[in-house]
Amino acid sequence: MSRKLLETDGLEWVQQGIVTEAQRAQLLALYPEERPAIGLLPLLGSLLILLSALSLVAANWQSLPETVRLGLLLGSLAGTYAGAEYFLRRQYDSLGMGLVGLGLMLFGLSIILTSQMYQLIGYDLTGLVAWAVAGVALTWVYRSRFLFILTVAIGGIVQGYNTGQLGAFSYLTAVLTAGGLGYYWWRRPDSLLGAVLATGLLWQTALLVSHLHIKITWFFGPAMLIYALGDWQEDRPAGRAMQGPPLVAAFLFTLGLALFGESDTYTGELRPPLLAYLGVLGAVLALSLWGKQRRGRLGSATDWLLLLPGFYLPGGLPLAIATLVVLYAYSGAVLWRAHQERNQDRVTLGTVLFILTTAVAYFKLTWGFMDKSLFFLLGGSLLLGLSWFLRRRAAHTFSSSETPAQP
Amino acid sequence: MNAPSPSAPERGAAATRHPPLPKPHRQRWLLWLVGAQLLFVLAVAAAGYATGRFGSVVLLRTTPVDPRDLRFSDYVELNYTISLLPGHLWKGSTLPRRKDPVYIVLEPRAGVFEAVAVYPERPETAQGQTVLRGWVADTWRRSMRLRYGLERYYVPEETRRKLRRQQPLQVHISVAPWGQARISQVEVLPALRPR
Repeated sequence: MSRKLLETDGLEWVQQGIVTEAQRAQLLALYPEERPAIGLLPLLGSLLILLSALSLVAANWQSLPETVRLGLLLGSLAGTYAGAEYFLRRQYDSLGMGLVGLGLMLFGLSIILTSQMYQLIGYDLTGLVAWAVAGVALTWVYRSRFLFILTVAIGGIVQGYNTGQLGAFSYLTAVLTAGGLGYYWWRRPDSLLGAVLATGLLWQTALLVSHLHIKITWFFGPAMLIYALGDWQEDRPAGRAMQGPPLVAAFLFTLGLALFGESDTYTGELRPPLLAYLGVLGAVLALSLWGKQRRGRLGSATDWLLLLPGFYLPGGLPLAIATLVVLYAYSGAVLWRAHQERNQDRVTLGTVLFILTTAVAYFKLTWGFMDKSLFFLLGGSLLLGLSWFLRRRAAHTFSSSETPAQP
Repeated sequence: MNAPSPSAPERGAAATRHPPLPKPHRQRWLLWLVGAQLLFVLAVAAAGYATGRFGSVVLLRTTPVDPRDLRFSDYVELNYTISLLPGHLWKGSTLPRRKDPVYIVLEPRAGVFEAVAVYPERPETAQGQTVLRGWVADTWRRSMRLRYGLERYYVPEETRRKLRRQQPLQVHISVAPWGQARISQVEVLPALRPR
């Protein structure tokens, strides 16, 4: 709920007798007022002047003496942070935080431009790692979600640049993003930040796997470690949000295995050394189960169904069918749990997964030999019937629940 | 997966559990942080300046550079004559592998430096020789491609004007006593005559 909603609708609630005037005032006091935004015109005016200065500098950058260039970079960096602090002190929170973000971007730009000036680009990774360090430190100082997200993005960009352009992976950046921001999220659990951080870390993991030229299935070692972190988080919604991206990756991978698992060349590409892989995954599984047990969430252990290493079986139709069974078991478990918990969002999610699995299964098992018009007719009816049944089931669950949710 | 986000009062409660830094505390931290950022940028500049000032200079030739590359970017990719070396220069006991760091011993031959040996560890050098650090980019049966981190050159306006056709460059590399190397100067050589 926002202050804006309270301000606009609150009077109506008082008139309808839902809350008293005193309660409305109490509610309003929960959401302290932000200072009104600075007028649009002065802001636009200063932005235009800034742009003109920027274009003047950019056009003459090469011909400026090195000391002037360095002075300009350092001056604008310090000036932006000073401006940010000026506005934050006067309670212009959004503008202040925006300027802190701009300062962080300017720091990265200064490193890059200074390195260019002395032709140092491409020699080592320290420069850009410092950028990520600054992002993590600023996030901690300001306790800001915006800076958190910006730093995740910077970590991803730095790592992408390192692997893509310099042909090296910066383990320091990975450890910093995972450790610095992970600990921040651990102490201040938040759903959005959990999902963003998990996505950023998965991106870095993917870059590492492609950089090392190892089997792509190794991706799931770190990915499930992120998942296990979600199990240990006390705040349930934040933990689930952290587990979302690894689960999406695992589900898509299993879906791919069901579709292409028939060809042995594809599955051959997926097989890491058996004992090492199972050892790593087993260790992460134990960690995850321990966390689930400690937090009383053992029911969600079915998520691990997606990690069954079916690709070690010889490729062929049996493998595809076994994978489909796993997918059904997983999406069925999601649906069943959602009904148990009477959670509308998760029922929708489970329904989508179930229907997706059915579509893939149907395509896989019938495309080869069935007449195409019959294929589409039967497939359509199957999906319609399934969606009708699942929706009826959901309606039944929620109508019998004590606190009926809106369908 | 679509976990509902905590509602505002919950978040408020979380914020009181971990309150933001008190203002004087925050400002002290911020001063340190901004100071460190400014110092870091200065340090990058100082490293670049010191390498040029105190380093020994090595002259390298490149294969011809195409000025058309500059239409879409402000840098060119340089391909040095020492980027592709014959395998017999390798002095290691095992075969070189991709991404391995290597040390290249350079010696002046007719004004330009040429590679005389490639080692897996930093070797002792004779008078007049210089060691450049590089990485193995690729290996073949009789040759190897090396990467020095000096392949990208941001072309200043002046050099850009001189570069009219596909012309080779003569590159001055400063190698600092502590091993850092950077391009310090670039001359455009006359175009090779078409055979």
